[in-house]
Amino acid sequence: MSDQERDRGTWHVAAEDLAAYARGQLAPPALWSADSHLLACAVCRTRLAEAGDPVGLEAGWARLDAELDAPRPGLFESLLLRLGVADHTARLLAATSVLRRSWLAAVVFLLVTTVGAVYSSGSPTLFLALAPLLPLAGVALAYGPAVDPTYEMAVVSPVHGFRLLMIRTVAVLVAGIGLNGLATLALPSYGLRALAWLLPALALTATGLALIPRLGPVLAPSLVGGAWLALLLAEAGDHGPLVPFTAAGQGAAAALAALAMGLLYLVRDRFDVFSGSAA
Amino acid sequence: MIPTVSASGLSLRYGRAQALDDVSLRLTQGVTGLLGPNGAGKTTLLRVLATAVPADRGAFTVLGHDPAAPAGRQELRRGLGYLPQTPGFHPDFTAFEFVDYVAILKELTDRTARHREVRRVLDQVDLAEVRGKRIKKLSGGMRQRVALAAALVGDPGFLVLDEPTVGLDPEQRMRFRELIAQAGEGRTVLLSTHQTEDVAMLCHRVLVMAGGRIRFDGTPAELTARAAGRVWSSTERDPAAKAGWRTGTGSFRNVGSPPDGADLLEPTLEDGYLLTLDGADAEVAA
Repeated sequence: MSDQERDRGTWHVAAEDLAAYARGQLAPPALWSADSHLLACAVCRTRLAEAGDPVGLEAGWARLDAELDAPRPGLFESLLLRLGVADHTARLLAATSVLRRSWLAAVVFLLVTTVGAVYSSGSPTLFLALAPLLPLAGVALAYGPAVDPTYEMAVVSPVHGFRLLMIRTVAVLVAGIGLNGLATLALPSYGLRALAWLLPALALTATGLALIPRLGPVLAPSLVGGAWLALLLAEAGDHGPLVPFTAAGQGAAAALAALAMGLLYLVRDRFDVFSGSAA
Repeated sequence: MIPTVSASGLSLRYGRAQALDDVSLRLTQGVTGLLGPNGAGKTTLLRVLATAVPADRGAFTVLGHDPAAPAGRQELRRGLGYLPQTPGFHPDFTAFEFVDYVAILKELTDRTARHREVRRVLDQVDLAEVRGKRIKKLSGGMRQRVALAAALVGDPGFLVLDEPTVGLDPEQRMRFRELIAQAGEGRTVLLSTHQTEDVAMLCHRVLVMAGGRIRFDGTPAELTARAAGRVWSSTERDPAAKAGWRTGTGSFRNVGSPPDGADLLEPTLEDGYLLTLDGADAEVAA
């Protein structure tokens, strides 16, 4: 296909944007659009050559040259960019293994199975018990030397370990809570009761994170998850809703979440050095 | 010359093991080799100097920054390049994406400037042609060069390389040595290695560690000179030798205290290293 044919029926970079591009003053995302378009459009390349001063034009070509080398972001990274996430944050998140399709697919499968079990048993307990564990597991699998192949390089980088942890935690929580939320929508007959997993999820995740500096990134979430299951099993014989899903239990979960977040903030500097066996 | 790295009394214990025992050193520009057997404390020392692990006791500065305070630690890390013993990669990333990821960790957030820097370091390690290839499809030598490129992002003043030539074939090792020599121009490089050839070819200075302590600190020539008059040839392995092995010519090369009238040989860096370790063993046993 010739350039002229390719040009037919497409938009062109606005004159003022082209002038700003030539001066090196066009800001993202308009800059990225212009970069992409100039690669394919001979007309705009000619207009750019006429619009710019030689120095600015040279810088524009250098940038375009660099753009040709730049990797095309994957599906997940592209989605984050479209949602307005900064490109450097999107790249950090793309390196988070639990945000990959395989993990998300496993979570979706588990939730669909659980929702199916809720329909057949007539009780939401299994879903309420499982849903808080998914964000906890996701966060546990997003951080630490056992699951992050670049952990050691990340620890000695100037980006604070706590900041990196929080970026990943927020992303994993958004994904995990979002999927849990969608599963909750599949249980409309239970009303707000079906949302009783949310505060325990926050409490478990925050507690697991707060204990990492003391217990390590594997043991801390494992113990917290185990304690949650032990609590539910201890309650399982009684009739009526399990304590964590009552009003009192929800209040306790909220208090625990707040306490754990406070503790997490206090120990934030401990995430800035090697966690786990450094021998 | 003003030292880039200055450490005194660094000690670190893992459980019952004394990984570092009162280590003091000063490093200046150029490549300094760190030799020692497994378990000598080399990786621990590198991790402490790279601020990955805090020491139990002692203090150090890198490029004038003291990592004891968070602000100093962050400044130090801005001037640091670190290639760990087993660099991990996100296997689905391309070489460019991986180095780009590390560049973001080094606070290069401006996309255009960052990509320019990524291209610069990949060019520097001769990986420009494969920058779009996924890391899992690269050879071991190429992966190691990707890790070196990542360590070079931001033009760090202090470069820490933990056994970068392990597992490389002789040709790759030679290529990697060229890159390290190039990287050592105008900056301080601390190179941990098992290979005395690495030190002989690259380093202006060498440290020998054993049992968590520095056992030797000097030039490669001084380490070699330690074995002067203590290496000899014989037709059978000399039982009095600290170490002895049959050479390609069929005769034995012995290192230790030679008998009277022994056929003395020209010492190598490895001979000096072996004798230094032997002295360290004797000290530990005593």
